Order: sequence, then C-alpha cells, then structure tokens
Amino acid sequence: MSLCQTHIEGDTATVVLGGEVDLSWSSQVRREVLTALSRAPKVAINLAQVSYIDSSGIAALVEGFQNARGKGQPFELVEVSPAVLAVLKLARLDRVFTIREADED
Amino acid sequence: MNAAADQAAADPAQSVLRPVELLTFMAEVSQKLAVSVDLSRTLRESTAYVAEYLDAEAVSVFLMDPGGDMLECRACQGPVDILGLRIPVGQGIVGRTVASRSCQMVRDAYADPDFSEQVDGATGFRTRSVLCAPLATAQGVIGAIEVINKRGGRLFDQADMTALRLLAAPMVLALNVARMAEELVEQNRIRRELGMARRLQRSLLPRRRRGPYPLRAINLSAREISGDFYDFFDLPDGRIAFTVGDVAGKGLDAAFLMVRCASLLRWAGKGGLRPADWLAQVNDELGEAIAAGMFVCAVAGHYDPATRTAVWANAGFPPLLRVAGNGETTQYDAEAPPLGILRRLSFPEQGCDLSEASLYLYSDGVTDVRNDAGEALGVSGVVALLQRLECLAPEPRMRALVRNLRALQVTDDITLMLVSGYASNCEACLLDHSFPAQPGELAGMRRALAAALARAGVDAALRQALVLAVDEASSNIIRHGHGGSSQALVQLKLRREGNELVFELLDEAPLADASRLRPRDLSECRPGGLGLNFIDRVMDRWSLTPRQDGPGNRLEMVKRIEPEGARA
Repeated sequence: MSLCQTHIEGDTATVVLGGEVDLSWSSQVRREVLTALSRAPKVAINLAQVSYIDSSGIAALVEGFQNARGKGQPFELVEVSPAVLAVLKLARLDRVFTIREADED
Repeated sequence: MNAAADQAAADPAQSVLRPVELLTFMAEVSQKLAVSVDLSRTLRESTAYVAEYLDAEAVSVFLMDPGGDMLECRACQGPVDILGLRIPVGQGIVGRTVASRSCQMVRDAYADPDFSEQVDGATGFRTRSVLCAPLATAQGVIGAIEVINKRGGRLFDQADMTALRLLAAPMVLALNVARMAEELVEQNRIRRELGMARRLQRSLLPRRRRGPYPLRAINLSAREISGDFYDFFDLPDGRIAFTVGDVAGKGLDAAFLMVRCASLLRWAGKGGLRPADWLAQVNDELGEAIAAGMFVCAVAGHYDPATRTAVWANAGFPPLLRVAGNGETTQYDAEAPPLGILRRLSFPEQGCDLSEASLYLYSDGVTDVRNDAGEALGVSGVVALLQRLECLAPEPRMRALVRNLRALQVTDDITLMLVSGYASNCEACLLDHSFPAQPGELAGMRRALAAALARAGVDAALRQALVLAVDEASSNIIRHGHGGSSQALVQLKLRREGNELVFELLDEAPLADASRLRPRDLSECRPGGLGLNFIDRVMDRWSLTPRQDGPGNRLEMVKRIEPEGARA
C-alpha cells in the first residue's frame, strides 16, 4: 500500500506519499525527497494518503526541509492527513514546516 | 332557564322531568364521584345521592361477583340492612335487570312474578314499588342499583326511571375507577412481594470475590424472579466447588424450585462429594417431590487452583466451553439428562486442564439472545464472542461479555460463569505478540497493538499515540539493538494494572546503556533522535533494564488511563 511518486509540473516537484511510512521504507522516502529537491526549484510533499508516519519518516521530511532552506528552495507540505498532523504536533514541527491545506492553484 | 325551573318546582307530582334541577344534581354527583377512588365509599355516597334525589325509602347496589353468576349487595340505604345479600343472576327483580340489561319499574312488587318476599318476610319491611337500573360498562353489566318505595306512598314514574338511568352512568364510571384503583393497589402489593422474592433469591447467590479469584459469575434475570442460579464455595482442601443451574419455566413455580435446588446443591456439595455423586444425590432428593413436567438443568464441579484442573458433571445443561489463550476452543456436551426427571441416574464426569485457558458455563438464555433479524446467537456465536474477548482479564472480560449480550435482544434469564486458569500475577494480559526484529514486521505489530488497545476501550487519539510510541521503541531495538534486521524475536506484552497500561518490550539484543539514551531537544530542528522524544511525551514513565529470564533488554513503558468507571 506504500506510495512514493514524484510529479513535476512547471517549477514544482510534488512528492506524493501514501500508506504507512515507517522504518521499513522511510529511507526510500528520504531519497525521493532529496532527489526532488535536485530536480525542481520548488518542492511540495503531498501527505493526504499517509495513514501513519513514524519518527524516521518525519526525519526524512526534516532533512528535506533543511536541505531546501540551505539552498533557498521553497519546501512545503500539502494536504497533511490528520494522522501525520498529530505526529507533527507531537514533535512540535507543525510550526516549522510550511503547511498548505490543499492545492490552491 | 328560570321559567323551566319554576315550572318544574311548580309540579308537585314530579310527573315530568325537571331538566335544570336534574342537570345541576347530576353535575354535583358526577363531580363528587369523580374524585372518589375508594370503592365502598363511592358506593355509600352513590346510594345516598340516589335516595335523596328520588325521595326513596331504600336504595341498594348489587355488584356481580368475580364468578359472574351471583349478585351481592355491596351498599344500602334505608331501614333494612341487606349488605352481603346474594342473589343468583336472573332471579328477583335485580337479577332480571342484570339479565335483561334494561331498567325495570315495578309499581306493585307483590304482583310481580319475580319478586322475592324473603327479605320483607324476615324484616317486616313492606316493599311496594321498585325501580331498578343496570350498571353497564363497555365490558358488560357489572351490577344493578335498586330503589324501593317512593316516600309518601307515591309511585315511581317515567321521569324517576330516566333520572335513575342517568345517575347510574357516573356511578359506573366511579365504580370502574375505584375498581382500577383497587387493582392497582393489589398489583403494587404483588410487585412488592415479588421484590421480596427477588431479594431472597439474590441473597442465595454467593458474594463476588475481589482480586484474583479464579471464578466469576453473573446472573441477569429477565423478570423480577429468576429460574437460573449459580453458586461457588471453597472446600477445606483448597478446591473450589461450583454449580450453575436453570429451572424449566419462568414463573413462580420455577423460582421456588430454583431456591430448593440451589439449596440442595449447596448442602450436598459442602462435603466435597465427587461431582458424579453430588448430582446423583441431588437428583434423587429432588425426584422425591417435584411437580410433574418440572426439571432442572445443572452442572456441579470442582476447580483445583493448585493443579489448574476442573472436573464436573453435566445434567442437561448447555455445553461447557474451554477457550485457550490462543483462541482454541473445546466443547463439552452434557452426558446426562436434567435433574428431577428420573431417579437413580448416573452423571458421568468430564474434566479438563485450565492452564492458560478459561472454562465457561452459560445458561441457554445466553445462546437465545437475538440479533435484530431475530436470529439466536447459538453456541457458535457464543464461541466467536468468547474467542474475541479471551485476551481480556476475567473481570473486564465478564463485563464485556454482558455488554455484548445486552446489545442484543435478551429474552430469558442469563447466567454466566467463568473459571479462569490463568496465572493470577498478570491482572490483565491484553496482548502478547512476538515478532522478528525486522522493519517489515512493524506494521503487523502496530495492527495487533491497535486492536488490543481498542478492545481495552482506549480512545482513538490515545491509541494512535501509544502505537507510535511502541513503534518507535521497536524501531530503536531493530535499528540500534540488531543493526537493522535480525531473526531474533522481540516480544511485546501489554497488560493493565489498575489505571495503568503497561507495555513491555523484551528483546535479545546486546545490553543497551540506558544512561546514554536521552531524548533530543525539540527546539533544535534536526532529523534524528525524535523517537525517544515521542516515547517520553506519550508515556508517563519508562525504564530500560536487563532481562531477568535470559540475555537481552526489557523496556517497560507505562501510561496512566482514566479509570474504567469514568468512561461512558
């Protein structure tokens, strides 16, 4: 059920994640996020279909966020599912990330 | 109006109906009768009103007795007391009134073929004219009101008869109300007595034992009184004797037989008789005097906590179920007929080992609960329910069972007994799940844990957080203890201790240094080290110690939850 795909549209690469992000494949998520940053000026991570995320998944997002900030690239989380939001809040990261409700374009 | 009243007052012969005066009188009578709920007072007042209005020498009210073939004088006004006088329906002028359901006016009593001179003869009273009206309700005639002799030697006329008929109507209403009130009082008395019978029955049930006692039982009666019973008591050698029974029928007779049978079973079982002999003795004793068609389905047995074995004999009771910790279920069907049918019967013994297993005894009221479609739960439904709940500790398990049964339609008495052979040190073993130390196993562990927490009644938000914390701990074991993946097993145990959920993770990894495990500071934003922070924030406390039962680590995490009673 794991989902990890990148779509590039204009100057934005969107990484769509789905399923339960845990230790078993969070390294794949990390790679995908870092690759997206190298392929497009802006990166968005769509988390609508993520039903569970652990600290290793959060770590992949944090690493992507820090990488982007270092290079001055916009990096945002979109359509964050309630399960992910709960974990982000627990880690007090909900105010660190740029979180966008849904695609407003 | 005034003209009409004047006209009526001006007519001394009263040969015409005086509408206004009658209406006023009727209103007064109706009002007085309406507030009366006392039957004899209602009757007394009614006869007085009628005597006054019709200016009669004597008035009496006869009511049908419950058999419906005799009329009895229940109230009278006048010189002769005929209270209690009984007349067969159809005899005398009163009897004729009731039988014909019509008003009778007799101007010369002695000329009437139905008139009985008996009362006059015995008292010296002289009956001249009689007016008699039936007291009719929707359910039929309940009696009659008889008026005798208009004062001053006058005769009753058509207007008097109409007036009597009109006066009879509110009387009947008042009588009905008074009768219903009497019935209500009687019903309340019966209810009070049933309540007393219920308390007596409940007092026969043994007190619930607190703490890790291996037996639990519950009886829910569908009505005030029950035909089901259960009992358990300690024998001097440490064994526990238990009985459960279900008396055929649901009425008072069943309740009485239940009391007798429960007492007999307790008396016969005190000496620790083998279950086969125990039931045989009670069967013979019951058979000496038992109403035809009545019998008792019962089980009597012993549980030995030292050996964790149970032995019992079953007389026509539903099958006993043994459910093991892994859900494996064995069914033991009755091998003897119910008690009280035939004397000198033998009752074969059955038995089983209850190490890490439970034995269930349930009356047929349990298998008879219905779903919305009217289908009975049946033995298979009971088995499925028990297997689902087996992971709960005995006390919450019984509560969950009752909750589940009550969610369905309960039609009969329900009696449940649970004999638990689990080690008593684990108050509430909610989950015991082992998995290889591999990342791919985490999802399965999370699902098992979430299900166990849901069964324990933990709400969704807390469940999510607890699963995350245990997942983080497991991930750390896999990553740091086993270098990312290993065939070694990690064991997750969840139990409830009072108001605390205790999570225990046992691994086979090299000893971890607890002093080096420190959650990171959340104010610095960096990828690693979040897991411990989650555990810290979700759990109330945790500790990491070497395993006592072999190489490896033991991580215990504790979460306080609100007491069970506080939840809806």
